[in-house]
Amino acid sequence: MAMVVDYKHDSSFPYWTSIRRRFAPDSPFFSSGNIERELLAKQVALDFTEDERNQLEKMIDTDARGVFCPIVGCGARLTLLEDFEDHYNTRHTASCSVCSRVYPTSRLLSIHVSEAHDSFFQAKVARGYAMYECLVEGCDLKFKNYKCRQQHLVDKHKFPTSFEFFKKAHPSKKQRLKIQRKRAVNKKDEEVPSKMEVENEMMEGLVSAVSKLSTSDSSPSTVSFGRRNARGLTFVPQSIQPPLQKK
Amino acid sequence: MADDSPASHRRDPIKSSVGNVAAQRRRQNAVTVGKERRESLVRAKRLCRVGPSGDGDVPGEENDMVTDEEGFLLDAQTSSAVEDLKSAIAYQGKGAMQKRVNALRELRRLLSKSEFPPVEAALKAGAIPLLVQCLSFGSPDEQLLEAAWCLTNIAAGKPEETKALLPALPLLIAHLGEKSSLPVAEQCAWALGNVAGEGEELRNVLLSQGALPPLARMMLPNKGSTVRTAAWALSNLIKGPDPKAATELIKVDGLLDAILRHLRKSDEELATEVAWVVVYLSALSNFATGVLVKSDAILLLVERLATSNSLQLLIPVLRSLGNLVAGDSHTTSTVLIPGHEITDGVIKVLVKCLKSDHRVLKKEASWVLSNIAAGSIEHKQLIYSSEAVPLLLRLLSTAHFDIRKEVAYVLGNLCVTPTGGDGKPNLIEEHLVSLVQRGCLSGFIDLVRSADIEAARLGLQFMELVLRGMPNGDGPKLVEQEDGIDAMERYQFHENEDLRNMANGLVDKYFGENYGIDE
Repeated sequence: MAMVVDYKHDSSFPYWTSIRRRFAPDSPFFSSGNIERELLAKQVALDFTEDERNQLEKMIDTDARGVFCPIVGCGARLTLLEDFEDHYNTRHTASCSVCSRVYPTSRLLSIHVSEAHDSFFQAKVARGYAMYECLVEGCDLKFKNYKCRQQHLVDKHKFPTSFEFFKKAHPSKKQRLKIQRKRAVNKKDEEVPSKMEVENEMMEGLVSAVSKLSTSDSSPSTVSFGRRNARGLTFVPQSIQPPLQKK
Repeated sequence: MADDSPASHRRDPIKSSVGNVAAQRRRQNAVTVGKERRESLVRAKRLCRVGPSGDGDVPGEENDMVTDEEGFLLDAQTSSAVEDLKSAIAYQGKGAMQKRVNALRELRRLLSKSEFPPVEAALKAGAIPLLVQCLSFGSPDEQLLEAAWCLTNIAAGKPEETKALLPALPLLIAHLGEKSSLPVAEQCAWALGNVAGEGEELRNVLLSQGALPPLARMMLPNKGSTVRTAAWALSNLIKGPDPKAATELIKVDGLLDAILRHLRKSDEELATEVAWVVVYLSALSNFATGVLVKSDAILLLVERLATSNSLQLLIPVLRSLGNLVAGDSHTTSTVLIPGHEITDGVIKVLVKCLKSDHRVLKKEASWVLSNIAAGSIEHKQLIYSSEAVPLLLRLLSTAHFDIRKEVAYVLGNLCVTPTGGDGKPNLIEEHLVSLVQRGCLSGFIDLVRSADIEAARLGLQFMELVLRGMPNGDGPKLVEQEDGIDAMERYQFHENEDLRNMANGLVDKYFGENYGIDE
């Protein structure tokens, strides 16, 4: 059973402690200095210039310093540590064209799009189909609601309890004030609810969420990058209207 | 300093004065990709191209990289040279000694020509047993020298080739003794240095055959190329990972004195090799570290760091200092006391290294500083108010990744009190606030973004300090401004559970539902 760790008590955060660090002579920490030693010793003999030596060092460095991408399920080999940022921006920033949330894989993005912006999806949920699929690739289990799926992730796949697939976006200060004002005033739905609110309300209940999903964004958006997940992006014909808007 | 023995200068590989085309080709070849070639360049073994009396081919005059055709020719010549040696040894008549020496010389020349001498051919033709015979006691010096030289170069290449020297080891060790002529002893030390540089197994063989004491004694004279070669061979011999040899070495009578003497007075080349010995002594043997810390060693290392500009020397000297600081809490607590002159001296030379252009110096100097910054509050204050901090802040944003990681350790260590018994260290608010105001946060957040686990961990730990410790609750705002939230959210799908938990924990605690609402 996965141990539930409650970070609100932050008893298990590994705080910064200042300690002496010692390395064995064959530690990788010293390897660039060791390489430098041998190259310098041979430099005179082989008569190569400092530039050439630096070039050599770089090549030797590259041999040693490849790293694998640490995003789950990726496994791409990066020749140099420095390549990671580019790789991340290219491969792991799939962004939703509806709400701008960013996901590290196209699969997760399309799951998000189905769950957050697809009224067809919500309709099936309302009828009792198990639509919420497990986020771990290869698991293939499906659940009837978000919370069950969440529990599954924690129980079976050791996700932390604080993990939220549907993480609340962090609104800007302007948005935060807007939300504050809205909460102070009676809910009237005078205007088209903001995307933020749509998602907040979805957390509370599914059936009510279906009816509230009355924005024009409810038809699945086209994914703006990468591979298409055929499952989640069926086009909703114009003739299928979303449920009546509450006035 | 004073003139070295006549041998020493000519021992240095002579810089080639060849014409441009050949030189260019050599350079291009040296830099060519080719893993085997790169591996050979970073080996801890050294080919001997020039002998003690200055003879030997000027390196590179011939083609350094032989073509296949030339390679075949070289192999054939080598095989026949070995055959010649065989018959020379068998020959009993007049002028036998000269015959032997000539044959050896011919073989030695072939083995000294290019960067990849025809070792395989020599071994196949049966060179080793013949060379062992040539090392027998009572042989004339010239013969011993040439034989040892051949063995040196046979041992300078691939592992299996070096291992082939096993039958020769006892004799090579025996010729290190005081009765041997200096050039012979030196050449034998060189061969043994190559063998020791091969790996732990061969090192253990050499140690069990008693190679250490005679080599150690060769370091005792004041000067000479023999001292330098012996020091280099010793550095290979004691490099472990078993600390026994290092501990045994420091106990040799007169050795500590010799080390200090060389560090104080010898020319940079000799001091360099001696410094490498100190590197291994201080990295492996707690006993040796203790002895060195109590001696003048630190002062002498600081002096060298202050006065030299030779990268070759600075690397091992800096590392020795680093090992002495890292290896023994005594160093920071009893020697490098804040306020004492020696401590100021250490900070000064570390600053000098931070200012240098060399990656290794910047990285390892930062490491040393981080260990001093892990000392008492006074140590932290000392570093905080020194010239080091502005340099470190700049390095944190501009330097190579390796350096930035070490710099992060220094800066973070400056912001927390020494670790007490309860495990939760307190913040030094003054330092934290000042460093953050001077813009270090973005550098740490960059580390959070990296794929290196250790660096990411450091970044997250520092972010926690900021989130917790900045006054007026400014932490979260500052972190948000630098896109810290975004950096932490990447960890939701990161495969490292610890980092995921750390990042999620921080986001939940400081950027939860109520973040920013009560403004």
